[in-house]
Amino acid sequence: MPLETEARAQVRALIADLKPNDGDLLQALHRIQHEYGYISREAMEVVAEQLGLYAAEVYGATTFYSEFRLEPPPAVTVRWCGGPACLVRNGRGIRDAILATLGLQELGEQTADGRVGTWLGQCNGTCELAPMMWLEEHGHWDEARVVGHLTAARAVRMARALRDGASVDEVTRG
Amino acid sequence: MGEIGDRFTGLRERAEAAHAAWRRPERPRIDVADDTSSRANGARATRAALERLAGERGAAVDLGRNHGYGMQWVQPLVTITWPDGASVLYGPVRPDDAAAILDEATGRVGAAAALAIGVLAGDRPGIPDIRDHPFVAPEPRERRLLRNLGLTDPESLDHYIATGGYRAVARALDRHLEPRAVRQLLADAALTGRGGAYFNTGVKWNFLAGAPDAERYVVCNADEGDPGAWVNRVILEGDPHLLIEGLLTAGYAMGARHGFIYIRDEYPLAIERVERAIRDAEAAGLLGEGILGSALDYRLEVIRGAGAYVCGDETGLLSSIQDMRGMPRIKPPFPAVSGAFYKPSNVNNVETYANAPFVLRHGAEWYHRLGTAEMRGTRLFTFSGDVERVGVLEVPFGTPLPALLQACGGIADGGQLGALQSGGPLGSMLPASLLPTLNTTLTAFRAHGGSLGSGGMVFLSDRACVVHFNEFISEFVEEESCGRCTTCHGGNQRMTEIFRRVIAGGGRREDRHNLELIDVTIQQSNCQHGQLSPTVMRNTLRHFSAQYDAHALGHRCATLRCGGMTRFVIADQSDPALADAAAICPVEAIRGSAGARWIDDEACIRCGACEDLAPRGVAREAVPVAPAIVPIS
Ligand SMILES: Cc1cc2nc3c(=O)[nH]c(=O)nc-3n(C[C@H](O)[C@H](O)[C@H](O)COP(=O)(O)O)c2cc1C
Ligand code: FES
Repeated sequence: MPLETEARAQVRALIADLKPNDGDLLQALHRIQHEYGYISREAMEVVAEQLGLYAAEVYGATTFYSEFRLEPPPAVTVRWCGGPACLVRNGRGIRDAILATLGLQELGEQTADGRVGTWLGQCNGTCELAPMMWLEEHGHWDEARVVGHLTAARAVRMARALRDGASVDEVTRG
Repeated sequence: MGEIGDRFTGLRERAEAAHAAWRRPERPRIDVADDTSSRANGARATRAALERLAGERGAAVDLGRNHGYGMQWVQPLVTITWPDGASVLYGPVRPDDAAAILDEATGRVGAAAALAIGVLAGDRPGIPDIRDHPFVAPEPRERRLLRNLGLTDPESLDHYIATGGYRAVARALDRHLEPRAVRQLLADAALTGRGGAYFNTGVKWNFLAGAPDAERYVVCNADEGDPGAWVNRVILEGDPHLLIEGLLTAGYAMGARHGFIYIRDEYPLAIERVERAIRDAEAAGLLGEGILGSALDYRLEVIRGAGAYVCGDETGLLSSIQDMRGMPRIKPPFPAVSGAFYKPSNVNNVETYANAPFVLRHGAEWYHRLGTAEMRGTRLFTFSGDVERVGVLEVPFGTPLPALLQACGGIADGGQLGALQSGGPLGSMLPASLLPTLNTTLTAFRAHGGSLGSGGMVFLSDRACVVHFNEFISEFVEEESCGRCTTCHGGNQRMTEIFRRVIAGGGRREDRHNLELIDVTIQQSNCQHGQLSPTVMRNTLRHFSAQYDAHALGHRCATLRCGGMTRFVIADQSDPALADAAAICPVEAIRGSAGARWIDDEACIRCGACEDLAPRGVAREAVPVAPAIVPIS
């Protein structure tokens, strides 16, 4: 067993009540991501020990689900809705405008300074607001801000402001 | 009535008193709808404004909560209930409207008249009954599954019990109704699976009931991955105890002591509400050990998904529950033989379970009063896309599609219907010309190679491009393939590549043939994700053949949506907004100076930001097609 570091002990405490063969893996990964914003390799090892799995199994599962992150998240995540109602209202144009503004190639990437990143979001049935995106601040995952009735122009303005250091509050005000 | 009945009567009496006070409050109550969609539309700001103003004025009102009535295009929704029991729905209520709502609530009749949508209960002169609203016209006069929607507090167990909830299951326990009789009742009612396959639920429950192991699981599929479908979310957030009662009925009927509810990660509020409902039901003795004093033990547990469409497939879901990647399994063995943790299990959709309490309460004959002989009962649909009214409705099977489009207010901005995309990425794409022949039954959709699906109906206007839409679908099914079968992950990759090239203007003659080949190949995949992933493409080649050919062979997109065949040009140099357009372009493709601007087509990424700001100055046009070299045959 690898040396017990402080970081490992913290992760272990976070999932101490979870058991092998009890359907707890997703919960363990959710807790860790909620706490740290992503799931490190070290955290996966601790999960494997706690749940009686091989580290490879935990790695396999973590990478299977698109909501788990393997890298520390950016300060702000622009979660673009990839659903049908958004698509027919220039959703693709909006996506490309955001990526171009941030100098990124595809969703999932983030700016080199770690300020703004992008993510593929799935339709959650607020299609009356299409086209839309969610803005999420690191550490405040439960308070995503919905920006509805977007246009490509508005998306460019917001992406520029975020890139230049504005907060989610600032770009969504007014 | 036995001891179980007595205990339930105690619960019911308390619940009825609480509900009566809610229906006829001592002072006016203002309920602000609270659900995912309301929140996204700013309901919390509306609530905060109402709270602030009521505090400032010292107004004699209370604030409460309900779920939106299903009308999502007029959110945030607010309901006022007066001491005489009258109740009116208003929307959209913005923070600025707080004064009007408070005035109306406290007796200035007509103050919020402009925001009134309809009367939910009682009578208010001059305001129409909500059931006369054109949106709900296709619904039966009395909703079944949605009967509490917008009329109760979804977080109140009392409200659920007072409106008839848990009564049937308590009676079954009290009278020692045979589990077999419950299953028979469901089979007689002909309740079918709402996850899309519409298999008889009573018959399915018999499979698990007959399993040899005592250890067995009830599993609820609340993964609802189809983009454009959120019918399950409405039940989970709007009336969570309905699902709990359905799952309790299922546990009793199949002899299971444990159930899992697998909810997608995108529905955090649904997870919160269901977890609360489980806790409240446990505290009331409706879940847990010795339910209502009987010998029945039954526990429920929520599992939170993490963003994998294929986990909606029942076997993918089972893998995901038991600490594995959510890979679909090879059937047989079927879940009733080897399910969660390889124990016999029964998987049903949220809406399927939610129907069970009604069947148990009212019987099969009552159930048959709505629907057709082929398909009994009602089903929830969500409507989105290019329609005026986005929302959810519960309609009897057999409802004509034109009536549904009409309920949605038709196509937005006076456009015409182009296509109906139902059933999600594995569903169908049918042309407007077929709409008059369609109704909400499997037969009607299957007649055209389509599928009814599990609740999502996306209406596309004739200004949307169906070929472009196919690129979205194929990318989705490729992205969500679990990767086991080469036919599926490889086939969907090829399909995506072809569509991507076609919409980029690089279509080739052999593409159609290759797509048809991919179609038959992918169908050899193990699970239904692969098997069904070419259906939208197949529908498109069949029903939109001319549009497809125009793209692939003629390199033309009539709607000017496909980037490779469309370009942006300066249409009017005198438009002063062109300066803003030039400034907004994220790739600085608008060159030149005022009066002599031009768009560098090489740099342009077709995002449309310039068009947003200068709709007169910028226009789309078809890229001229190089004359085809016609071989001499
Ligand atoms: C890729 C894929 C995704 C699916 N997604 C869902 C889903 O989100 N919800 C659902 O109830 N069924 C879904 N199904 C259908 C399930 O496999 C299964 O048939 C259903 O849960 C059975 O419940 P029912 O009999 O109540 O319909 C999906 C199937 C496939 C192949
Ligand atoms: S398609 Fe974007 S919210 Fe539904």
